[in-house]
Amino acid sequence: MYRDTESSQPALALRGLTKRYDDGTLAVENFDLEVPAGAFFGLLGPNGAGKTTVISAVCNLIRVTAGEVLVFGEPITSLQARSWIGLAEQDINLDRFLSVRETLIYHGGYFGMGREEAEQRAEQMIDAFNLRSKRDVVAPKLSGGQRRRLLLARALMHRPRLVILDEPTAGVDYELRQELWLYIRQLHAEGTTILLTTHYLEEAEELCEEIALIRDGKLLARDSADGLREHYGATNLADVYVKAMAEV
Amino acid sequence: MKIDRVRCLPERRSGCAPPRGQITGAQGMRWLAQRETLRVSKLWTQTVLAPVISALLFILVFGLSLGDRVRNVGTVEYDQFIVPGLIAMAMVQAAFANNASTIFQARSERYINDILSSPMHPWQMTIGFVVGGVFRGLLIGGSLLAAALLLTGVPFENPAALALTTVLCLVLFAAFGTVVGIYAESWDNTTFIGNIVILPLAFVGGTFYSVALLPSPWEELSHFNPIFYMVQAMRFGLLGESDVSIWLSLGVTAALAIPAYLWAQWLFSSGHKLKA
Repeated sequence: MYRDTESSQPALALRGLTKRYDDGTLAVENFDLEVPAGAFFGLLGPNGAGKTTVISAVCNLIRVTAGEVLVFGEPITSLQARSWIGLAEQDINLDRFLSVRETLIYHGGYFGMGREEAEQRAEQMIDAFNLRSKRDVVAPKLSGGQRRRLLLARALMHRPRLVILDEPTAGVDYELRQELWLYIRQLHAEGTTILLTTHYLEEAEELCEEIALIRDGKLLARDSADGLREHYGATNLADVYVKAMAEV
Repeated sequence: MKIDRVRCLPERRSGCAPPRGQITGAQGMRWLAQRETLRVSKLWTQTVLAPVISALLFILVFGLSLGDRVRNVGTVEYDQFIVPGLIAMAMVQAAFANNASTIFQARSERYINDILSSPMHPWQMTIGFVVGGVFRGLLIGGSLLAAALLLTGVPFENPAALALTTVLCLVLFAAFGTVVGIYAESWDNTTFIGNIVILPLAFVGGTFYSVALLPSPWEELSHFNPIFYMVQAMRFGLLGESDVSIWLSLGVTAALAIPAYLWAQWLFSSGHKLKA
């Protein structure tokens, strides 16, 4: 098994992260979080807890009000740090003008791959995600499940060290969810650090080595599923979640 | 698909670790520029053919059909006189519309996040997007010029001035389109600027007449129209004559192109309207 042990730095370190949106909403305030390299880390919280804000800050998609974001010790403002992150967003956001193959190749290109490498890698990802029959089909003509698979394939295209999955199984059927779990598990087994946000508690319990609970932009607790159950005196993660959210 | 048919990820097959090369963003910029040109090529009937046919109709109707009944403008035959303005008009409208629509669509469908999160410098993103508008403008300008050479025998008096004018005009309007695409809240916003601002200014910018023939104050007012200078520069490049000095025309165009480009660059650097 390959483990990302190249860096002694945590895969992700957020220090004093604060984000106030233009309308005045304070999404996260003085938020600290460290995700160890090679971890499978879950971020749980209700809608509006600040999960997507945290992810957007890590991926250079929002203007951070204050604080520091480090990826394997590199500030997120550096190109190197950004090249290490792969993001699959909650909403399907595929380029409508590109086919499956082009989506992967161009993404690889944006992230620094040369043509030959990108083409070769795209073919591998098409096979890995069972999209061969849709290779030359543009994104709007794919089914929901195929789009979701392509979104994940795109996130992994440039071989990121830290993969961020923002509710990757939201709104997908049971079979596809199981399938995506297999992909994600395999990815983690190969040593990639994974940061997962999800509303499905059983998903977090099933997949994550460590879970952080957040609400109103604040970290409530972080531990393994067993540790959280013990801490909250709960029998399952759903009880943990209810008790933790009630504490706020 | 059955779960047991899930295939191995390539990492497992090859057992390879992720590459750790130094990232400069240059590769990303090239791919972004290529993506923008690919979009133009894929939509060529809308992006190139339609504006070329539209401009050719002007040449055919105004130049060839009515040309015999309209006296020469100075020493230039009317069918040749209108060619530079029509080329300029078609190019700048296309460069603007291209970038306003590509950015707005990428924003509204959020696939611009793939670019914003990538390891590219903001200046590289600006160049990547501007290239698309310039490419589309060049395709249209080149096609129209070729057609006009065949139809009207328009001369090629100052190629250097023509090339410089073309580049400045296209950068100006591709950058301006980028800015509008970033600020736009709806498709209406992008088409409003194109149809209500750029198109009328192009029509009254001396494409079909010499402003020297206009009575006061219309002649003087024409000099406040920025597109007037682009038409004049283009006319100088092709026909070797214009209503104002080529240096003034190039100076005005450059004086507009530089801030428009810097504005687009600032939007990418600051993330204003692109990032929450």
